[in-house]
Amino acid sequence: MKERKKIDAASLILCGGFLMLGSFLTISSFDLPSGTAGYPGAGFFPRALGITILMLSVILALQSLHGRMITEFRMDHSRVVAGVGALTLAYLLSWGAGLFALRTFVFILLLLRFLDQSWKTSVIVSAVLTGSVTLAFQFGLNLSLD
Amino acid sequence: MTADVFEGLMAILQWKVLGFLAVGVLLGAIFGALPGLTATMGVAVLTPLTFWVSAEQGLAMLLGIYCGAIPAGGIPAILINVPGTPASIATAWDGYAFSQRGEAGLALGINALLSAVGQLTSVFFLAVAAFPIARFALRFGPAEYFGLALFGISLMAGVSGNRVIKGMLAGMLGLAVSMVGLDPMTAFPRFTFGSPAFLDGIAFVPVMIGLFGLTEVLAQISDRWGRIEDKPAKLGRIWPRRGEWKRMLPASLMGAGIGTAVGAVPAAGGDIGSVIAWEQARRISRRKEEFGKGSIEGLAASCTSSNAAVGGAMTTMLTLGIPGDAPSAVLIGALLIHGLQPGPLLFRDHQPFVFSIVFLMMIAAIVVMLIGLLGAKPLARALRIPNPWLWAGIILFGTVGSFALSNSIVDVWIMFAAGVVGFFLRKADVPLGPLVLGLILGPMMESNLRRALILNRGDWFETLTSSPIIIFFLVATVLSLALPLLRRSKEGAAGRADAADG
Repeated sequence: MKERKKIDAASLILCGGFLMLGSFLTISSFDLPSGTAGYPGAGFFPRALGITILMLSVILALQSLHGRMITEFRMDHSRVVAGVGALTLAYLLSWGAGLFALRTFVFILLLLRFLDQSWKTSVIVSAVLTGSVTLAFQFGLNLSLD
Repeated sequence: MTADVFEGLMAILQWKVLGFLAVGVLLGAIFGALPGLTATMGVAVLTPLTFWVSAEQGLAMLLGIYCGAIPAGGIPAILINVPGTPASIATAWDGYAFSQRGEAGLALGINALLSAVGQLTSVFFLAVAAFPIARFALRFGPAEYFGLALFGISLMAGVSGNRVIKGMLAGMLGLAVSMVGLDPMTAFPRFTFGSPAFLDGIAFVPVMIGLFGLTEVLAQISDRWGRIEDKPAKLGRIWPRRGEWKRMLPASLMGAGIGTAVGAVPAAGGDIGSVIAWEQARRISRRKEEFGKGSIEGLAASCTSSNAAVGGAMTTMLTLGIPGDAPSAVLIGALLIHGLQPGPLLFRDHQPFVFSIVFLMMIAAIVVMLIGLLGAKPLARALRIPNPWLWAGIILFGTVGSFALSNSIVDVWIMFAAGVVGFFLRKADVPLGPLVLGLILGPMMESNLRRALILNRGDWFETLTSSPIIIFFLVATVLSLALPLLRRSKEGAAGRADAADG
């Protein structure tokens, strides 16, 4: 019986992303001055790059469809990763709102609690980290973080 | 030149510079000793702390981190079989076996001593070879610089193992990101989406912090969450005996040579150098069977070569402006912040500064050795710091450090975006090194190609064959891309033949 070839789905998704990037660069480059052969304009390099990305993406897509090299896309503990990403995102969104030290303390506290640290440990580590960053950047380097 | 050497030495013989170096080495040792924290991460995350000090002080700290982290990466490799940095992969192969038979202290002692030997050898190479290389590079015109940049990016893709196409695409992504901002020749805005924040382009340091800080944290959470690490073993004696020195000498000399040479190749750092040196040491050894089971020669070769790569990488970075490995790529960003452009002109215009770097690296190597010998026990204890504390610290320092770059939240978002994109690329088995190289070499590649075309009135053939140097770089580029592909197709054919036989 003939064995079915595996399709490399992760690489195919990656190809999709790079195809989009290549198309964007190629199409956008037409809005930029192309210049002449003797004096290449701002659109010259993006167009060349866009076309190269498109070609390489097609090669990778063909490789992926033939299952030449299967990428093991393992996303273990995806909830924990997503949670840390979301907490960091929330911290960045709150940037500039309220006292830096307070915001940072709360962020680190929540992050450590989310990462299964005890309340006591989380409070101590948050205080130490917040204190050292505030001391180093806000007081040591005179950087306005609030 | 003697006056420049003296001036370079005097510039660093100040308590502030030496203090920054000592702090850097200590921080580097901690970054290296803790699995998951790498030299690149340390240099990237702590670069913003050096904005407010002089170039010598800032570079002293960053070089200290770089030189301190690589040998310290051998500590967890020896004690718990988890390499602290990628450069110490081969150290774990033999080092861990030492721990299992109760000789962890000896392995740590060898690691500290031969790391210093490796670093000092390669710094000697830097001192001797860098000036002739830089003088030669002064002959480069725009076409040669274009060829050099192209070769650098192709090499990075070439060393991406069996991921050549992915490596090339990653390099292209770096080039694409480097195009954001004003066109280097005509100042026409490109891909700024109408935002003035992007007119100056995407800042390099936040991207590096994102790629080597946040990406690393997210990847570690994904890979290591909930895993219980081994407890480090007892240490025992640290100093090798005379007979052991005799056995280590040939392997360590060979390791120093291989490490320096491999480090000087753009993109090929201590990880590749140490694996090659270990394999070569095995070939010449009379006790091949011991390799991988606690061979003193294997340990000597890997420790020396992984550290010798530091000087090799710095030579390429300083003379040609092309990073030899990931930490030296970040150091380029740090030098640029201090108004110093790595490349041959650095050797013409800032000679004392170059000598300062050489002396700083020499002192760092000796401090690293002392810390390795005297601080082995405390550093071994550092392995007990829980990962979540480190992850929280990296995210926090990375975020505030990115903001500190230019007091702009845009840089923080760039760091976050780079971290998230880097995480998914890494999960899809895309090497991140070419991306960094593309980002660094993009402006150099584009502006020099366009300048060369203007000089040759748009004649491509004339541009690409105008000198033997550019022809050499183009041939080398084709070879570096074609050879891994050919090797892969050969291996594939051999694999298919085996399967058919089997």
